[in-house]
Amino acid sequence: MVRSPLRKRVFREIKDDLGKYLTIFILLVAMIGLASGYFVAIGSMIKGYDESFQLYNIENGNFTTRYEIRRVQKKEIEKTGNTIYPIFYKDINIDNNRTMRFMPNRTEVNLACLMDGQLPTQIGEIAIDQTFANNNGYVIGDEIHTEDNTYQIVGMVSLSDYSALFSNNKDSMFDAILFGVGVVTEESFEQEKITPTYRYAWKYPSDPKTEKDEKEMAEDFAKVIRENVVIDDFTPRYLNQAIMFAGDDMGRDSAMIHLFLYIMLLIMAFVFALTTSDTIFREASVIGTLRASGYTKMELVTHYLTAPFLVTIIACVVGNVLGYTWLKNVMINLYYTSYSLPHYPTLFNTQAFLETTLSPIIIMFVISFIVLIRRLSISPLKFLRRDLSKKKQRKSLKLSHRLRFFTRYRLRVILQNIPNYIVLLVGLLLANILLMFGLGMPETINHYQETIREDLLAEKQYILTVPASIEADSHALDNLVTMMAFENAVQTKTEGAEAFSAYSVETYNAVRQEDVLVYGIKKDSQYIKQAIDYGEVYVSTACAKKFKAKVGDVIQVKEHYENKIYDFTITGIYPYDSAVTIFLNQRYMNEVFDLGEEYFSGYFSNTEIKDIDEKYIGSVIDAESLTKVSRQLNISFGGFMEALRIATFVIFFVLMYLLTKIIIEKNAQSISMTKILGYSNKEIQKLYIRATTIVVVVEMLLCMPISTFINQWMFDSYLSERMTGYLPFYLPPWIYFRMMAMGLIAYAIVSIFEIIKIYHIPKTDALKNVE
Amino acid sequence: MFLEIKNIRKSFGVGDSKVEVLKGIDLGIEQGEFCVLLGPSGSGKSTLLNIIGGIDHADEGEIIIGQEKMSDMNEKKLTLYRRKHLGYIFQMYNLIPNLTVRENIEVGAYLSDKPLDLDEIIKVLGLEEHQDKLPNQLSGGQQQRTSIGRAIIKNPDILLCDEPTGALDYKTSKEILKLIETVNQKYGNTVVMVTHNTAIKDMADVVVRLRDGVIRDITRNEVKVKAEDLEW
Repeated sequence: MVRSPLRKRVFREIKDDLGKYLTIFILLVAMIGLASGYFVAIGSMIKGYDESFQLYNIENGNFTTRYEIRRVQKKEIEKTGNTIYPIFYKDINIDNNRTMRFMPNRTEVNLACLMDGQLPTQIGEIAIDQTFANNNGYVIGDEIHTEDNTYQIVGMVSLSDYSALFSNNKDSMFDAILFGVGVVTEESFEQEKITPTYRYAWKYPSDPKTEKDEKEMAEDFAKVIRENVVIDDFTPRYLNQAIMFAGDDMGRDSAMIHLFLYIMLLIMAFVFALTTSDTIFREASVIGTLRASGYTKMELVTHYLTAPFLVTIIACVVGNVLGYTWLKNVMINLYYTSYSLPHYPTLFNTQAFLETTLSPIIIMFVISFIVLIRRLSISPLKFLRRDLSKKKQRKSLKLSHRLRFFTRYRLRVILQNIPNYIVLLVGLLLANILLMFGLGMPETINHYQETIREDLLAEKQYILTVPASIEADSHALDNLVTMMAFENAVQTKTEGAEAFSAYSVETYNAVRQEDVLVYGIKKDSQYIKQAIDYGEVYVSTACAKKFKAKVGDVIQVKEHYENKIYDFTITGIYPYDSAVTIFLNQRYMNEVFDLGEEYFSGYFSNTEIKDIDEKYIGSVIDAESLTKVSRQLNISFGGFMEALRIATFVIFFVLMYLLTKIIIEKNAQSISMTKILGYSNKEIQKLYIRATTIVVVVEMLLCMPISTFINQWMFDSYLSERMTGYLPFYLPPWIYFRMMAMGLIAYAIVSIFEIIKIYHIPKTDALKNVE
Repeated sequence: MFLEIKNIRKSFGVGDSKVEVLKGIDLGIEQGEFCVLLGPSGSGKSTLLNIIGGIDHADEGEIIIGQEKMSDMNEKKLTLYRRKHLGYIFQMYNLIPNLTVRENIEVGAYLSDKPLDLDEIIKVLGLEEHQDKLPNQLSGGQQQRTSIGRAIIKNPDILLCDEPTGALDYKTSKEILKLIETVNQKYGNTVVMVTHNTAIKDMADVVVRLRDGVIRDITRNEVKVKAEDLEW
């Protein structure tokens, strides 16, 4: 079969219009590369993470005992068929106020994955968690210091039971900056003179098959443990955030990446379609001649599809190559700043392949094909006459003669190019939404940190914890002793300390099941500046905003793992933006939750409480702990936001360049004619460039409120639903100026290109192809 | 009769602005004949040519080419018909700007199962030296020669020429006319040429004068004048 000689012009056309094809190509490669890199990275990491359970023999759960388990106790516990392993640790302060959890290297359970260097073999050596090391600038060979000893870092590890660095499972967020883990030799572990935390991991003989089985097995095992030892903490694997959080979190961004990819693909497909339409317009008489000579519509459609198709295919290939190599690592590094994940093999990801090759090709093909079929379905004669409108000529819009001639001319240019400007608007809107997110997110986090610091109920809130052993229903004598010891131990003489009741419940019937802390406050509290009477219910502003609740609304909560539901009718909103909380009168709260008249579970204090044993303090809520979430978000999002800002500038530039180029090319003959008539280049710029400038400025301005609305909506309905707590989206006014500036700088650069183009349009153009 | 044109009517516009440009044209042209359609602007000669070429439709009437009725053809068949039987030459050459002379002619060759020899055509057209040039490197005459090459390489039964010399100077026009004459004689194609240059009528077999959408007269030249001897 003879191949069409038209194919010979495809590469020449790409070469002749390299600016257009190259910009589209670069944007496609960037989009496809980023998406492919992300999908491959996530796919590989999730697979690596999933396999790590088997590979590194991750525990089925752990518990902490008051004292080291004796051999006889171990024997009793292991009669269940489960095996227990000591995983003792010591939390030690090291340089720069960081805490390092020291542990002897594990050989049986929760094995360490060596990422770099070696495991410690002698006293004074340590292998530390790679994420903590990265976030704090530690490299192999550096030293870390405890109060008494110095350790040389000999390796970087990823501990399978600390993929997210939660120092305490009750924390709302891990902290990979201030908290790290490290493995040392037994001798090194021994030389640190503090008592270890006696934590034991357990493994079932065979893994539970369902979540229900897992829960039941854990509950059964808890009973056995409580019968044999005094425990302070009991955490089955499915509740262990240090193990499960990373796995739950990875891949959550997929929906956003998908959405971004498809919107960008659609925009690029429309840009391609518009540029192809423009080519058809320019080549109308050639097309007319070819059609008159007998070329079929499909032959021409195929021909005009070839260049975009080719560019898309090459972009898919290059994008995927970059995605599987460089960009995969970029994406992985983003995750590695947050999570400490083991080695993973790069896996071919079928879905990623389909979405980053087939999808772009299909989208480009379908949209270009539809546009081409429509464009080329007019008769050859119309092409020859350069009359490409399918509809009958509409009456031109009447413009008032009172308008200046130049104004009317510009309006005509704008009216002529409405489809281009619509695509530009959609593109600018997307870019602005991303840019606003990129600029707003760090500001939101910083603002949140400031709010928290200004908004503290007290400098410190001590939440007391009842030892886990008391919850057992056997060994009553032990428990009684422990309880009495607890009640004595949690009394404080610290000046200004004020007891409160706190009870953790979860939302019921809300969009997202979320923990809510209910405070029982004394009526004359010095920390809560609102006298709360018996029966009154105040919610924090964060709670009100998060659940869109107002005074008079009923907020429903339930106890964890229980079915009892509590309805609270809101009587007031307390200005507290840092946490989702409910404030009740303490007496009322103790009654509602049947906690006992004298019950209290924590202290507000502006000074440190030193006379309560640490083991009775479940957590301390202070500025540092409250800003943990935002600190971690800053680390996780930092690089991503920068990438987003660059990406949006590129999108601004590419879209403005391509669409402005089309407008100038479409009007090349008219521009040429105005030159012949004696208009100066400056006047021509005023007619053509200024028309687009006006549209760009108007569209940018229009994008501001729409982007704000969409970002607010996304933040409220997406991030807020996914995250615990409430993080209000904050946009300082300078962000709008910066967005405008970025858009206009991109446009200014584009304008220079277009001004040069106008200068180079020859006067002879107007004399060509005139019927 | 190879090409039969029966009672062709065509009008543009609707209502008060309706203009009838062809008011019942009847014409017959034998295979291999050189027919010139003469007439002033607005006489309907280009419209008639477009209807013969199947790129415009008549409101009434019938065109029969070699036993095939054009009115029976749908768009697809018309395209196929043009592909197999017609060659087009326009006043503006409409060459593909980023294809060389040779490649532009190949664009026509592609449409035929048995195209003429490309090198021979290039030689006949006198484009040997220019065959690797792009259209913007050529003079108007060279561009028109290329467009003739593109039209005739597929050896069409009918060569339709719409003011092929309209944009050319005297000397180049004569060169082009000589080429069309050569093609007509060498390959035996039927040629229908629209022109308002009355001098060209002398090189035709049949001269059809149109005015206001009707045929004023049809004359046959017993003795044809060679293109190189034409004067205007």
